[in-house]
Order: sequence, then structure tokens, then C-alpha cells
Amino acid sequence: MIRLYDWELSVNCYKQRLMMGILGVDYESVPVDFYPGREHKSPEFAEINPLGHIPVLVDGDYSLRDAHAILVYLAAKYDPSRRWYPVDEPELLGETAQWMLFAEATTNTASAARLHVNLGYDFDIEECRAGAHRLFRVLDEHLWFRERDGLGWVAGAEHPTIADIAIFPDVMLSEEGGISRLDYPALRRWTDRVRRIPGFVVMPGIFPVGDGPERADPLSIA
Amino acid sequence: MSAVLTELRAAWHPVAAGTDLPPRHAFQGELLGRELVAWRADDGFVNVWENRCLHRGVRLSIGTNDGTELVCRYHGWRYASRSAGCTYIPAHPADAPARTICNRTFPAVERYGLVWTGEDPVGEVPDVAVLEGGHTDLRHLPFDAPADLVMAELGSLRFAPVGSPSGEPVGVDVVEIGPLTVALTASDGSAESSVVVFVQPVDAAHCVVRPVLAGVVDAADLRAVRRHHATALETLRTSVEEIARTLPGPEPYEVLLERAPVHVADPAPPVAGRTAPLRVRVARKWRTSAEVMAFDLESIGDPLPTHQPGAHIDVHLPNGLVRQYSLTNGPGDTASYVIGVKREPESRGGSVALHDTVREGDVLAISEPRNNFVLRRDSPRTVLIAGGIGLTPLLAMARALHRMGAGFELHIFARSDEHLPFADVLETLGSSVHTHLGLDPAATGVTLGELLAEPASTDQVYVCGPGPMLDAARSLAAAAGWADEAVHFEYFANTTEIDVSSTFEVSLARSALTVTVPAGSTILEVMRENGVAVPSSCEQGACGTCSVAVIEGQPDHQDVYLSESERARGDRMMVCVSRARGDRLVLDV
Repeated sequence: MIRLYDWELSVNCYKQRLMMGILGVDYESVPVDFYPGREHKSPEFAEINPLGHIPVLVDGDYSLRDAHAILVYLAAKYDPSRRWYPVDEPELLGETAQWMLFAEATTNTASAARLHVNLGYDFDIEECRAGAHRLFRVLDEHLWFRERDGLGWVAGAEHPTIADIAIFPDVMLSEEGGISRLDYPALRRWTDRVRRIPGFVVMPGIFPVGDGPERADPLSIA
Repeated sequence: MSAVLTELRAAWHPVAAGTDLPPRHAFQGELLGRELVAWRADDGFVNVWENRCLHRGVRLSIGTNDGTELVCRYHGWRYASRSAGCTYIPAHPADAPARTICNRTFPAVERYGLVWTGEDPVGEVPDVAVLEGGHTDLRHLPFDAPADLVMAELGSLRFAPVGSPSGEPVGVDVVEIGPLTVALTASDGSAESSVVVFVQPVDAAHCVVRPVLAGVVDAADLRAVRRHHATALETLRTSVEEIARTLPGPEPYEVLLERAPVHVADPAPPVAGRTAPLRVRVARKWRTSAEVMAFDLESIGDPLPTHQPGAHIDVHLPNGLVRQYSLTNGPGDTASYVIGVKREPESRGGSVALHDTVREGDVLAISEPRNNFVLRRDSPRTVLIAGGIGLTPLLAMARALHRMGAGFELHIFARSDEHLPFADVLETLGSSVHTHLGLDPAATGVTLGELLAEPASTDQVYVCGPGPMLDAARSLAAAAGWADEAVHFEYFANTTEIDVSSTFEVSLARSALTVTVPAGSTILEVMRENGVAVPSSCEQGACGTCSVAVIEGQPDHQDVYLSESERARGDRMMVCVSRARGDRLVLDV
């Protein structure tokens, strides 16, 4: 069975749990005492990931680190519809990759602010917050125009991609880092849509949103 | 408070686009420093409320819009659309919340594609003549800058009018058409476009700029036009925010935090007897089954009070009779109450009067809704059993459970398809509805026995129907091992012979009054003669409204409201029909 080196409160580990929940992939969570134990920096953990961070996914003999890389692997391997990582559609694949890099930026700003506030990480909090707001402005506008085209996801498809999964928790937990979403109504609507994807799972701070208007078609944007 | 702020508080402001409120979404907004939650109910009604749960102050915008109720994320308190009254408190699942638990609401109007509200707005949402011939929604932008600075800078917005030959942005003519509203007109050759810009003061340092383009743009050009305007406004935002950063931060707006409203701080004494403070108009009367007429009773003036599944009202009839009818519609329907009335020619004339003499357009006096048949919403399986017209309270319950996605079964016993009321509503409840048609009493008993077999400890059952069926269901449930507290029932009427022969003394502890109840009188009547107020409704021991706590003495229960275990406890009694076993009672009145 797949093993995920995991910490309940980590956004990057949650991205994997969410993806595997949606794809219906069974896995075993291996808890890592990230805080306060700093187990990911222990010599034992260095053998699993010399970079000393989580998540790490082990699938049989195969081991992979870095949250967004693991999403690529999971979707490419376990989504027979080939829509979550759209390898057969070059334009869409390019957009997905573009928004995966955007997710690196939201993680390094919005989620970094959260680490600063919750765990005392030494980041420039004002710069983290300002950076997150710059990104959220771009994403809110992008999603607003997508809605005008009848589309509901960050990449220009009728189906969500791993980019939605990669960005979603950074946005949902932003308020823990002192970043309000008051100014981003389109972004807030998109978080409703992600939470209505069948197989959605929760983590502390990320709650279900209840049934949407179209129970029959939870991926519709309405 | 400054004169400017006073003026802003008396004005209408847009706080969202209509498209910001899709179904089942809770929008987070802010106006003049006050946070708001805005949400659209399934019937289209737009609610704008203070963004905090009355319980622990958590933002309601992180909660769930279930179509008629907004549910707080923290402890699950539910608030009804329109009235914002609390309809359910999960920590007290068997109690009806007090009607005074009500969130702060603000008026809401949709116009020009925008949702308007205000702290205390005077008059109507302003007319904007240039938008009356049609309009196109553009992208709105939040600005990290005060509203007055943005107003002063809006004249430097540049855009190309729709159909402009060059497509190049040009300068605009500015006409101020309201305190925070300007019309900007750009002309290029024969092309001319006007954009009306509404500036929403979020707080002293922030605003949202909400532009609306006059006229309807061809669908083919829409995307390009919206892109163009979004880019133009973004350019303006960059320069205005740069200016704002150089200015000293403005004084924050003073937000008026309300004290508890008077009705909460100083509740009115309980209303005596059967009062009918509400007036409703019969908006629609229709036959919903062979013997049942449905009545849609719409409010005259103010929205009707919040109600919960299981609630009933007293209807005061033109012939002087007062009858109780359950509300069949949902908690958010405060525009009207829908009741179903079965024609009972044998009875004393209440249903006949409603069937034969009350017409559409007539005005009726009704009581406020009361809920003595409270639906727990925390059971994984709820069994609702209706006999004929007993469906009415269970219909409201089924609708609530269906909307919540809770597990439930609704079983309806009726003579035939023609005797099934509200078939159109039943259809919307899908596979949870089961009908049992044309069964004789013996077969009904067998079916009830099957339905009530092997209850799980968390199951709840609600039964409403004719007396014999209810009696049968209760004894079958007890025999099958249902806990007394899990069996909820509501009788139409108390058909037991009331024994009024005893004479006894009643001490009313809170009123410091001792009265004698002679044979032939009821406790309720004697209390009323002595000026002691207790609410009542059916006055025959069926509805539970006049329930009073017993401090001392043994009640002689003659009602059909209390369960066996509640009777045995002897700590409550229905003062309309029940009496004393001994010669004295002490009541908590």
C-alpha cells in the first residue's frame, strides 16, 4: 500500500490526502512529528528525504518528495480519466503546469504566513501577506473571467486539475496567516466548488460546505 | 459621529454583485466597517445580515447556506432566511429555540445587477437614468484606498467606448450623480459609452469600485469589453493605491455595536390565552386532495415570525371558532404560511368554515407560530408516520430533513391516491416517501408493526394522525423497544371524556396567589379570572401550549400531549384540562 509521510496540519500533506481521497486511492498515513518534535529534521528522516521536509510518498519501491511533484505522479498514475493531469491535451497541460508554479508561490506566501503565525517560523510576515494578496488578486480576476465563460476551475477545462488541488489549501487556510479573503469573492466561490468535488476530505480549518445547487453534477459551476 | 458618516449610514450602498450570490453560497462583505454575510435562499430571496453568530460570534460567512437556513460552522446554530431567527440549536435538540434569538438583518435590494443595502438607509435605491435602458456588468475591484480619494481620482480613468474605431483608451467626462456615484462618458468619433461607477466604502481605508456599463453589449464582444474595462480599472487602481500609500491613514469609521435589543433584555410577560396578533391574507386556496384544501396565508406588511418544522398556528375563523393547523412549509418561508385543512363535516364547524366560506383575498387573524412538536435534527434515521391529514407537520419536517441530507422515511397512510394531500411536494422528496394506501385498521397495525420493528438507539419516530392510529403506533413502538423519549406524537384532538368534577386549591408560586378551582371550571379559566397570564392554544389538552411546571402535588393528567413517562414524572401539566389528584397543587406560575 502507498505510504504517505504525513502531518495532519501540513497544507502540503493535505494536498496528497485530498488528491488520494478524490481518486479513491488507499494509502497509509505515517505520522511525522513535524511540530514540536521536528522529526523531519532527524537523521532517521534524512534517509527518507535528505532535504528534510514532508510530504514524502512511497509507492512500492518508488519514493517521491515535494508536494506538487507527488500530485503529478498520483494523477498520472491513478486517474484513468486522464483529466486531473491532462497529458493528452497539450494546451491544458501547459496551463496546469503554469498554475502548479503559481501554487508554489501561494505556498511560499500565504502558507508561509500561516507557519509564521502558528509555529513561529522566521519569515518576513508583511512581505508574505503582501505577496499573497498580489497572487489572490490575480487569481480572483482569473476565476471571475472563467465564470463568465461558464468554467469553474483554474485551468481552462470543464474538469478540475491538480492545479486546483495544489492551490486550494493555501487559499482556504490563508486567514490563519492573517490574510483575509474578503476582497476575493470569485476565489471564495471557487473554494465552494472544490469542496463539492466527490471524495473531498477535510483537515483542521477546512470544512465541508454542504450540498451545492446541482447534486447530480457537483462539478458544475452554477 | 461625523456628519459624513451619518450621511453614509443613511444611504444605500452596493455591497455585492448579484452574481456574487449563487445558490448555496455565503458571501462575505463589509460596509462602513461592519462585516456582513449575504446569501441567496433557494426562493431567490437575498439576505444581508451581520456576519456573526449570536452564540459565539463566529463569522456566518464560513457556514453553510442550505437553501432556507444559514448554518453556523461552529456549533451548528441555524438561522432562517428572511427573518434571521434561530430555528435550531443542536446542543438542545429537543427544544424549540426562543423566537427572540434573531440575528441583525439589513434591508437588501437588487438593482442594476448589484445587491444594495445600508446601515439605516432612507428612501429607495437611487434611480440611475442612464442604466434604465439596459446595462452590462463589469468586473468590480477592491481598492486599498479611501472612498473619497477614489472618487476624486475616477476622472483619470481612461477607456475606449464600445465600437470605438481605434480601440484606444480615451479620457472621460465626469458627472457626479450621487455622493459616491459618478457617470463617466468616453467618446471616440461616433462611438460613445457611459460607465456608472458606484464606490462602496468598505471601511475608512478601503473601498470597492463597482462599475456598470450602460447599454447591452453584443454577446460576441462581451469578453473583450469586460477585459478592456478590467485592465483600465486595474491601471487606475495601481496609481490610486500609490497615492493612498503616501497619505496618513484615515481615522477608522466608528461602528455602532448594538446593545441587546429591548425585547431580549426585557422580555414581555407571557401572553395570556389565545391571542391573534398577526393578520394574513389568503393568497391562494386550492384543493390538494379529495378532502383537503390548502391555504397559502401571506403576511400583510411585516414578514411573518420565524417558525420551525412541527410548529402550528391558531386560525381565528369568521364564525368565531379557533382552530390549530400545522405549518407545512419551511423555516425560511416567512412571506407566507401554508396549511392543509381536511373537511370534517361531523366536527364543530371549523374546517367547514374554512372550506366553504373563506375565500382567496380574505383576511384572517392568526396566532404567532408555536412549536410543541419539535423535530430533533441529530438522528441518523428519523421515521415520520402520517395518517391522512396528519401529514401536515411531518411534511415540514420531511422538507427540513431532506434539505439537510439527513436520513429519514416518510410513511403516509391514506385511503387512496386521491386522498394524498400535497402530492406535488411529496414528489420533491424522492425515494424517502412511502405511501400505504387503502389499508383497513388491521392491515395498518401490521404495517405499523413492521415500520417500528427493531429500532436503533439513535432512531427517532414522529407520528401524527387519527387517535386510534396514534394509540396503536405508540403501543407498538413501546412493545418494539422504542424509548419513550424517541417517540414523538401529535394528536389532532383530545377525544377523552374530561372529568371536571373535582374541586381543589392551586397555589401560583410566582404570582403569590392561591385560588380555588371549583368543579366545572378549569385551572386555566380560574387563572385567567384572576389576571394570571398563561399562553394557550387548543384548550383541549392536545397541543401542549399551556404546559406549566408543577412544584408540588399530583396532577390528574387528562391531556393527550404528554408521554407516559412525562405523565409519571408529574413535573408538568396542561392547565386547560388537567386537574389535581389531591386537594392542592403548587404551580410555577
